[in-house]
Amino acid sequence: MDSKITRRGFLKTTSLAAAVTGATAGSSAELRPPAWRGDTRVQQIATNCEMCFWRCGVMAEVADGKVVKLQGNPDHPLTKGQLCARGNAGTQLLYDPDRLKYPMIRAGERGSGRFKRVSWDQALDLFASRLTELKKKYGPESVAFFPHGVGAGFFGTLMRAFGTPNSAEPAFAQCRGPRDVGYQLTFGRPVNSPEPVDLEEAKAIVLIGSHIGENVFTSQVTNFITGLQRGAKLIVVDPRFSTAASKADYWLPIKPGTDIALLLAWMNVLIAESLYDKQYIEQYATGMKELEAHVQGFTPEWAEPITEISASRIRETAHVMADVMPAVAVHPGRHVTWYGDDTQRARAMAILTGLLGAYGRKGGMFLPTKLKQGRIPLPPFPDSERGRVDGGGTTYPLATEESQGLTQGLVQATLSAKPYPIKGWIIYGQNVLESIPQRQNTLQAIEQLEFLAVVDVLPVEQTQYADLVLPEATYLERYDPPAFVTTAKRPYVAIRQPAIEPMYESKPGWWIAKQMASRLGLAGYFPWRDPDDHLARLLAPLSVNMTELKSLGAVSFEGHPYIEDRTEQDGPLFPTQSGKIELSSSVLQDLHFDPLPRFTAPDSPPPGFMRLIYGRAPMHSFARTENNSWLNELMAENQVWIHTSSAAKYDVRNGYKVVLENQDGVRSAPLIARVTEEIRSDCVYMVHGFGSRSKALSKAYKKGASDAELITRVAVDPIMGATGMRVNFVRVLAADRS
Amino acid sequence: MPRYAMVIDQERCVGCQSCTVACKSEWDVPNGSARTKVRQTGTVGQFPQLSKAFYVSQCNQCDHPTCVPACPTGATYQDANGLVRIHRDLCIGCGACVAACPYGARYINSSLGKADKCDFCASRVEKGLQPACVATCPAHAKIFGDLEDRSSDVFRMVYRESARRMETTTIAIGPNVYYRGKPEHAELVLVSFAPVPPRTIAPAAIWSSVLNKFIYLAVGATFLGQAVAFFHQLSTGEKQFDE
Repeated sequence: MDSKITRRGFLKTTSLAAAVTGATAGSSAELRPPAWRGDTRVQQIATNCEMCFWRCGVMAEVADGKVVKLQGNPDHPLTKGQLCARGNAGTQLLYDPDRLKYPMIRAGERGSGRFKRVSWDQALDLFASRLTELKKKYGPESVAFFPHGVGAGFFGTLMRAFGTPNSAEPAFAQCRGPRDVGYQLTFGRPVNSPEPVDLEEAKAIVLIGSHIGENVFTSQVTNFITGLQRGAKLIVVDPRFSTAASKADYWLPIKPGTDIALLLAWMNVLIAESLYDKQYIEQYATGMKELEAHVQGFTPEWAEPITEISASRIRETAHVMADVMPAVAVHPGRHVTWYGDDTQRARAMAILTGLLGAYGRKGGMFLPTKLKQGRIPLPPFPDSERGRVDGGGTTYPLATEESQGLTQGLVQATLSAKPYPIKGWIIYGQNVLESIPQRQNTLQAIEQLEFLAVVDVLPVEQTQYADLVLPEATYLERYDPPAFVTTAKRPYVAIRQPAIEPMYESKPGWWIAKQMASRLGLAGYFPWRDPDDHLARLLAPLSVNMTELKSLGAVSFEGHPYIEDRTEQDGPLFPTQSGKIELSSSVLQDLHFDPLPRFTAPDSPPPGFMRLIYGRAPMHSFARTENNSWLNELMAENQVWIHTSSAAKYDVRNGYKVVLENQDGVRSAPLIARVTEEIRSDCVYMVHGFGSRSKALSKAYKKGASDAELITRVAVDPIMGATGMRVNFVRVLAADRS
Repeated sequence: MPRYAMVIDQERCVGCQSCTVACKSEWDVPNGSARTKVRQTGTVGQFPQLSKAFYVSQCNQCDHPTCVPACPTGATYQDANGLVRIHRDLCIGCGACVAACPYGARYINSSLGKADKCDFCASRVEKGLQPACVATCPAHAKIFGDLEDRSSDVFRMVYRESARRMETTTIAIGPNVYYRGKPEHAELVLVSFAPVPPRTIAPAAIWSSVLNKFIYLAVGATFLGQAVAFFHQLSTGEKQFDE
């Protein structure tokens, strides 16, 4: 691959003619006059980013069929021209020499990494014949689907048409699920992404474990910082001195796992001192009496020994919120699968938001605005009599049909063959060994499969176990379904369109899914000709100008973010069963769960062990970006944060290589100790996503350590099945002892 | 004539490195080098009374740059608008300017063999654009503008507010990157990343480094010439001489 043709190298060349040809690959985008360098040879394609899932607006500068630079798209209604480190480094994914380049079938033992290159026809024929075989032998439900990302939508249609209800995305049970269920129970709506938290207008911001700044979503950072600059008071609840904590007015270094106690104590203060928004609660909420009785005993003095935050500090921070309500942004968080009672913690945060009168109010949380979306009529999907295997809707009642499923449930069913056998897996864009906890189970399940197909861009570890590997085009080379974003102050539609033709023999997901549908006799589920036709049908009711949309990348519409803006068309303010904010949840009551959140203490670390907590670094997304040349340069490996006093006990100094051993004797790869005052002494912290075991990722292989490997235990949320992962404990060994 | 300056707002910066990568992408900076970078200061205090900050460093376009007189060929010069720039054609890659910079803001670009550094994205600014790092920053922590323009944000921050230069009593060469924020954060940055006295490279060392290159070049050229002549002769034979 000739990555040496740099932009400046190109600009020096005199050939004008060739430049434009590659630019419009696969789309008929009307290109904006190139503005940046006033150079007519550089074309700009508006699309959106997939280095994480915030989907910031990107302008891809294309010259001579190459993407030479990515810039933020100033016309994007949400992200307004900002792009993070990862977004700026997207070209290094596109031109990563380690990319999957050709369809391949396995030619050695599972995990050996030996493959045979085949043609797309051979690959798709094999794919279709194996699926048909499994369907005949075990029924269509025996194929499980592990999707992730926007592009997965086409495969989702394919799998449902094929006849399997077994699909699960880690976004639910390993990430946002408890939060969305908890807020839905309280306000009648999930939180969704981007989170409609009015950080920029807030007068107080409350972060519970959210580490904005290390967790970078561009517009969220912009709004967070804008809010702080306008004088918002910042309360950060985190066992670690995060970047956000370093900017906080109040950093509450809470004992891990005790957040619900703190939240109950805050409610206690607001109610006991009669500081909550009485008019709002009277008008919009039910269950106040029950709540009042429930929190009566949960005083700050009660919470102090539990949380290890002083009662006076708890009271003081409650007063900070009360002073500026309703403009209090209690951020609902994003990755919230911690201790197995996460839906109840989300409920507590939602109730606090309600007491402060902050839901639907300026500076609190704003309301989504509906967008009309065209329907593409499809034949009915086949019904499965056997139902889902993951326990969604049954064992875990609030992991409903609309939820994204329970990945670990699919793994368990594969292992146990109960309620019926799962014999084939199709993975699209998901990294099952890093995102699903209890990796040993996942590996074991893979061993038992008759067929594993992986559609991905990079040779992540799971591809080494696959029977069939299909190389997908990157986000800069493909069309994906448009994003209809309702949780923005101005709702918008944003498109992803190819900046250049797919490299090597990679193909876009939509093409692969459509080809497979034809081979499986399911072409009727893909009634559109091409991406343009697909886009036009989805956008039909919005009457947007296609040319304009393709040129701008996104189009926004009038929004109704606050209660006072709402109209009839926006529907009920609080679409709960009662039509009100449910402080006490009737749904939970009916299901025999606590209708009001209760604190139960999580297990303490055994002697000599510390709790393992994990999070993000701003230059990496999960386990997706560690092989990116520019991002790897910024952060090649992770470190483990250990408090000075704990490090002394283990005889570890800053910069030492250590190995972590968990309560089950599982050891991590060696990683560097960061001995610091910036964390409590009862826990250690590491950034997620490192320690790849795929030799095919030349830059990421064996760099740092994987927290996922140490997560051998989970605490499952009985309400919706999320896997709480902060229930593992580690001790520190010198690297040479392992 | 504008006088460009940049203000880094330490209270806004979250250390996300967006600027670092945008700059790398804009200027094809090879891995191992950077025109701008973000570093975290050491943490002061004891749990839970702690403080830390971020330091964004880049060329300061100093009023009295130490790199300009250090350059033996005149490749490094100061523009009328104050920007310190490099004539690539004149640069011999000797590294004298790299040693002379108290801020460690210069590097030898390994793919060009020449000195390189931030110039506030002069070519973008000429077209009316913001520098790449400023345009991309999600926290709006970098503010760029003209100190001659009394209505500019940088004018206000530098002359009306408390944005300060990263100078010490011994090293005060008029940097035009200013830092604003809580005084304790500026102090932290100074403690962790104080400018260092410029180092000089003896002229003899410079010339020997350059001469070495010429010697290699001369030896290489001689060898190449002989090789070409040899193969030419081999392929065309003696006939050539007959003409």
